[in-house]
Amino acid sequence: MLVSYRWLQRHIDLEGISAEQLCDDLTLSTAEVEGMEEFAPHLGQIHVGAVKERVAHPDADKLSVCTVDLGQGEDLTIVCGAPNVDAGQKVAVATVGTVLPGDFKIKKSKIRGVASQGMICSERELEIGENHDGIWVLDPDAELGAPVADALGLRDWIIEIDNKSLTHRPDLWGHRGIATELAAIYHRPLKPLDFSWPALGDGAPYPIRIETPACPRYLGLLIDGATAEASPAWLRWLLLAVGQRPIDCLVDLSNFVMLDLGQPNHTFDLKALHADGIEVRMAREGEHMQTLDGEDRALGPDDLLICSGDTPVALAGIMGGEGSKVAGKTDTLLLEVATFEAAVVRRTSSRLGLRTDASARFEKSLDPTLPERAAAHFARLLQELQPEVRFPAPPTDVGDWTDPAHTLSLQPERVRRELGKEIPDDEITSILVRLGFGVEKSGDGYSVAVPSSRSTKDVHLDRDLVEEVGRIHRYGNIEEKNMRADVAPPPKDPRRILVRAVQDRLAGAGHFHECVGYTFIEDALLEKLGMQALPHLRVVNPASQGQDKIRRTLVPSLLDRLEPNRRLRDDVRLFEVGKGYVPDPGDPSAEPREIHLAGLAWATAPVSAGARFDAHAFNQLQAVIIDVLDHAEVAEIRWRPCAEPPAWAHPAKVLEAVGPEDGPALAVLAELDPALHNPLGLSGDHASDVAAAEISLDAVLGAPRRGSRYRPLPRYPGIKLDVAVALPGATEASAIREAIEKAGKGSVADAELFDVYRGESVGEGRKSLAYHVTLQSEKKTLSEKDEQKFLKRFRALVEELGGELRSGDAD
Amino acid sequence: MSDSESGDAQPLAQAEARIAACEDLDALKAVEREYLGKQGMVAQLLASIPEQPPAERPGVGKRANELKRGVQAAVDSHRDALAGARVDAERRGEGFDASLPPPRPQRGSLHPITQVTRELEDLFQSMGYQVLDGPEVETDYYNFEALNIHADHPARDSHDTFFCEGDGHLVMRTHTSPVQARALEKFEPPLRVVAPGKCFRQESVDASHDHTFHQMEGLVIDRDISVAHLVGAMKTLLRGIFDQDLEVRLRPGYFPFVEPGFELDARCPFCQTGCRVCKRTRWIELLPCGLVHPHVLRHGGLDPNEWGGFAFGLGLSRLVMLRHNIDDIRHLLGGDVRFLEQF
Repeated sequence: MLVSYRWLQRHIDLEGISAEQLCDDLTLSTAEVEGMEEFAPHLGQIHVGAVKERVAHPDADKLSVCTVDLGQGEDLTIVCGAPNVDAGQKVAVATVGTVLPGDFKIKKSKIRGVASQGMICSERELEIGENHDGIWVLDPDAELGAPVADALGLRDWIIEIDNKSLTHRPDLWGHRGIATELAAIYHRPLKPLDFSWPALGDGAPYPIRIETPACPRYLGLLIDGATAEASPAWLRWLLLAVGQRPIDCLVDLSNFVMLDLGQPNHTFDLKALHADGIEVRMAREGEHMQTLDGEDRALGPDDLLICSGDTPVALAGIMGGEGSKVAGKTDTLLLEVATFEAAVVRRTSSRLGLRTDASARFEKSLDPTLPERAAAHFARLLQELQPEVRFPAPPTDVGDWTDPAHTLSLQPERVRRELGKEIPDDEITSILVRLGFGVEKSGDGYSVAVPSSRSTKDVHLDRDLVEEVGRIHRYGNIEEKNMRADVAPPPKDPRRILVRAVQDRLAGAGHFHECVGYTFIEDALLEKLGMQALPHLRVVNPASQGQDKIRRTLVPSLLDRLEPNRRLRDDVRLFEVGKGYVPDPGDPSAEPREIHLAGLAWATAPVSAGARFDAHAFNQLQAVIIDVLDHAEVAEIRWRPCAEPPAWAHPAKVLEAVGPEDGPALAVLAELDPALHNPLGLSGDHASDVAAAEISLDAVLGAPRRGSRYRPLPRYPGIKLDVAVALPGATEASAIREAIEKAGKGSVADAELFDVYRGESVGEGRKSLAYHVTLQSEKKTLSEKDEQKFLKRFRALVEELGGELRSGDAD
Repeated sequence: MSDSESGDAQPLAQAEARIAACEDLDALKAVEREYLGKQGMVAQLLASIPEQPPAERPGVGKRANELKRGVQAAVDSHRDALAGARVDAERRGEGFDASLPPPRPQRGSLHPITQVTRELEDLFQSMGYQVLDGPEVETDYYNFEALNIHADHPARDSHDTFFCEGDGHLVMRTHTSPVQARALEKFEPPLRVVAPGKCFRQESVDASHDHTFHQMEGLVIDRDISVAHLVGAMKTLLRGIFDQDLEVRLRPGYFPFVEPGFELDARCPFCQTGCRVCKRTRWIELLPCGLVHPHVLRHGGLDPNEWGGFAFGLGLSRLVMLRHNIDDIRHLLGGDVRFLEQF
């Protein structure tokens, strides 16, 4: 909301208080000031001049050559094109070098052969009015040579207050309310305003009926003889200062009263209203009306209408209707000043996306006692402007409203305890009184009368009074205290510990970069991955189209980040720890299942032909998963074919890891489906070897943990030997690993596959596997004889598998 | 005998000269083999003994052994000398290029949001706070209702809520504050909790706004908690974050779930005279906070006459940006390795 310093001065004496000071004080005691700027600062550069002489331009019919006195001794010659310029006028003069709005710099110039030393300005050129038909003729009493801003008392500062910080303060949506705060802050009185009715005729009150509790009060006042003429300068300038475009004095006055007291109001042309009068009712299903902005609005039973007879003429509290606009000379007007239910106005305004100055105020819960004062204020101001105006009848004041003013009991000790500061009773009561509360001693505390302006919304509890005292006393004057409490170590959170372990292991040993991704996932990506058919929870108002789904898993977002990063790096390893949301298939409104996941994606330049058999991203990533799960102290893992492979997985190269007791998969690991390389941009120049995995943190937390894994160091030296076997190509490596275990009869401490070879030397369709084997006994030093026994048994087992032992050498 | 002795001495001297001339271990080995190998001079000398006249035999044997010992000693000593020379040469470090770059260290990284979150979690845990988690898809009840923001409350506007499909009771949480309501339901007071996490607001994205961002909520419930305690706790917190005592100011702020509510501003730690970060005001808005609203306590099943407390919210995304002077919030969730690998 914009507040004018000069406007505030109508309500309170601000002598000695700068606009800067005022902004600081409002920020520290009342509401956040977002900014302040001078109103029309160029008016300080424009000076009052007197036109001493005006002669016609020798070479141009429409131009005049004026001699202008700026009170500086030497007169200026100014060529002026305005028809209304004349000798004897006081005018606004921009001299050479002055910059007008729109970055328009006044230069010395020759106009049709006559040198002009400045410009006589119109209101529009100075942005303080619409008038451009002629120059701005100033008050003859304006001080010669003075800046126009000072000569006309137009120096003003516009203060912008953050609307969010006024959400709970309907009373602060007008200058009077802000002035009330300043009165409390500066210990100064508010200037009185006359809220009594002007002379009212004894005609018949206008008929008004309220058919719904959504309108607690409706006050209508008939006005005769008003003219929709231009407003006087003071009114136009105040409105301009706070960003309102002056229209005519009826519209301007309506806005003025709203911005002055915070009470929206509306004027209807009585000619346009039905003889039956006004009816306030809820709209009917399927009803329509055209609002002042020309839009046709489809309405329903939640929308509150002001009707003339049965025809809607205004969307209550939001906007008037096209039909009843007041224009030109009208015989009789109806001034509406009402109170509408905040929630009703808010709902309609949100649904229609129609936010107006009026709706912003009504939705804050306005004081129902305010309409009468606002109507009287309007009437008195109008009569000041147009003395011929008459009020032919008493106001019609209907509605089932009650004064919300109430009384709270306040223990001063409570104020001191909750603020943590020894504020004496007399300061507490003084602050409350300055803010307009009534305070009376009652027992050992006080009985505090909350004014109606503060009663609709934010002051209901004694805690609310604590805030009043605290903010005016200033929170900055409360010294800090330390809490005293028994502090025990908080309970350990296994999930948080696991998350940290996973993050540390991946970022550390795994050399992965941690990402934090968006929870929303794009349709385009899901389509690329063939996941568009999976049920996803959606938002109805996404940030952008195609971004309405909430992700179930993390890998898709990571896969999406591979291509741009592969353009930059040969080896891209990304992970994310986060949540996925799986909707309940039976009930889309039910809370979705939240799952905790770690997603991993690894893309490298394609593996070269001569690389080790396990150089692929898939193998590398498998090692990482094993390491992470081991780090997470999962007792033991096994890999098995994946029952439900994710959409992005290579149909054959996909595995899942399970714990010792089977149960849910701890992790799923797969190579990226070759069919997805192209759609994901991982082909051509950025062809990549890609693997991805997802760890279920929930499953890991549920899996049995290994205890300490310390084992005593071997007491006897072991034997290291390498074995190589040639096998039919289809035999799995696990068969050989089992054969090694079996041949060792419990003495195999380790067996590591280090080579897989296919080639001529092992024969067509066959492969060779080579292992480093360590034999170890806890009872004795193993001898060459033990090694020979092992090799003999191993050879037999290999031959059973259709293979042959190619070599078996001890190191 | 002097002749023969001098004649006998000659082979050893010859051998010693040849050994001394060896420039490397291979040459030395060859010479050693020539004298001491299976077919070497010493072996031949010993083998010739049976062919010698008996009287000569002891002398030949003696000379052979003397030659053997002499050659062996010379070889050993020269081998040591060669090894020493090699070490000396290595120690001279010829050809060493001190400017040669090492292999690029391979490293991964923790996201800066993770780093700041952990730092704060640790800070709070050291002060007895428990770290809690809450769902990102939240119910209307916890996100608004339990926090004293009823259905038609105008404060809902500023939340720019993403609404989920269905009957409308699910939203993307607009703040971490719903964890306050959940914590009050779940735990018995006294209570000290913080809850970091993602939040969502339907607003247009630019360098300083993203529709997804991170916050950390804090809640303390105890007896006799005052504004003075809140100020003390917030100052301690800021000291922990910025490692310095920052001047702070507390001013009114409106949040329906606290009463009174505050905005806590801290003196800009980056400037003395106003800068881009503080928008030239020298204050940075850091911590919305306040005393827990009695209605919120009641929603959580607590008696406001017995229990009180305060709550606060920390913008984690903002803190990360402040700490690293990051100029564009979109980098945080952008997943660009050039950004990630800097942390």
